[in-house]
Amino acid sequence: MNKTVTFVSLLLVSVLIITVQSTLLSPRIAGYLFPDLNLIFIVFLAVYSETKGSFLLAAGNGYMMDVLSGNLPGTFTISRLSAYMLVRTSSNHVYLKKALVLGLVIFLTTIFTWTFILTIIRIKSDAGFQLSFSDIILQGLVNSVVGVPLFWAAGRIHARFQK
Amino acid sequence: MGFFKRRTILIILILFFIAIQLFSLDLRERNSQNPVSKLVLTLTYYPQKLVSSVTDKVVGAWRDYIDLMHVNEENKRLREELNALRQEKFELAEIKAQSTRLKKLLDFKDVSPYPVVSANVIGASPSMLRSQVVIVDKGGADGITEGMPVASYDGIVGRILLAGDKSSEVLLITDPVSAVDAYIHRTRARGIVKGVGSGCVMEYIENKSDVSVGDKVISSGKDGFFPKGVIIGTVTDISPSGSFISAGVSPHVDLNSLEEVVIIQKSVNNVVLNE
Repeated sequence: MNKTVTFVSLLLVSVLIITVQSTLLSPRIAGYLFPDLNLIFIVFLAVYSETKGSFLLAAGNGYMMDVLSGNLPGTFTISRLSAYMLVRTSSNHVYLKKALVLGLVIFLTTIFTWTFILTIIRIKSDAGFQLSFSDIILQGLVNSVVGVPLFWAAGRIHARFQK
Repeated sequence: MGFFKRRTILIILILFFIAIQLFSLDLRERNSQNPVSKLVLTLTYYPQKLVSSVTDKVVGAWRDYIDLMHVNEENKRLREELNALRQEKFELAEIKAQSTRLKKLLDFKDVSPYPVVSANVIGASPSMLRSQVVIVDKGGADGITEGMPVASYDGIVGRILLAGDKSSEVLLITDPVSAVDAYIHRTRARGIVKGVGSGCVMEYIENKSDVSVGDKVISSGKDGFFPKGVIIGTVTDISPSGSFISAGVSPHVDLNSLEEVVIIQKSVNNVVLNE
């Protein structure tokens, strides 16, 4: 498939995902047990996408999270970009076709991004964000449970388009 | 460490230090005029509005289906009546105390010295880091600017954090960075109402002040954001906090089921207009 079409398609998927996450699956509506589709999508980009623009898409997804999460400047943009790079680099080393490994990668990516953000918050801010490590672990588990079947489905669609 | 490329680790470390520099939770330091942020808000407005409308219709149809014999409509009417009666009761208590400070909230157009714009909640924060943010379907095109107070017929909701062209973000009073200058309605004891996620807490109340569980908390208007005399919530518990008193406050507005709000077009600079 044409690279531009792929990029535009992935961009539209990004907007769709952030829309769903800011309406139906917002933590205000779905509670803390909501899957972070945006993060799962970034892991997907890092693992599957061969488009050079996927780096920009990962940053763009993070930026949309920044804006819609109360305009926190750079927090999600940089943490998700770092997560993208980390998974992209390591994806050659892990056997991601196994559901267990894939689930573990999604779980660890969730832990990484939130540790990244919480470390910055601890260093820079005295504002009391009510976010505990158990919340993060819980979200990592939810992301893994939701992410694995989503990956399986998205991988099949992606493979079909690649033919 | 050989598992990851050294270059990646280095880049991530650099990004981390950039993030530390960029990160600031201080609203005053934030560049709210960033056109890219506004573009993102506008870009997401249409799909959010669509999902919100479809969801409302589906939910409405489902409710109508299960609520046979028009129970839903009756329920809605009774809720409105109940809200009106609650408001009336509160106003009667105010008259009895021979105070005219607390104004009628049911119709902001009548009581507010500022024009108001009604808006629908179409989305919320996609992140659990700052979940106390909702998105409304009015923005700069409707005269909305950052800092404007947001309320519902039940009381204070929050204030505009970022105004896009078509939609805006509202920072709820339950967010940890939110602060509202307030009075205890009964005794005029003053303090600052801060968000704690699940609710609010009124801090810096003088030790000698008369505060009881059940007291109503209203805005003082002295913070330059919120008009004076709008109800914030009810005192739920009291505890000493150093040389002050700290009171837990349950917001009067049910922030978990917000659907419609009014944005008070009060410029942040009009600090003394209603004092």
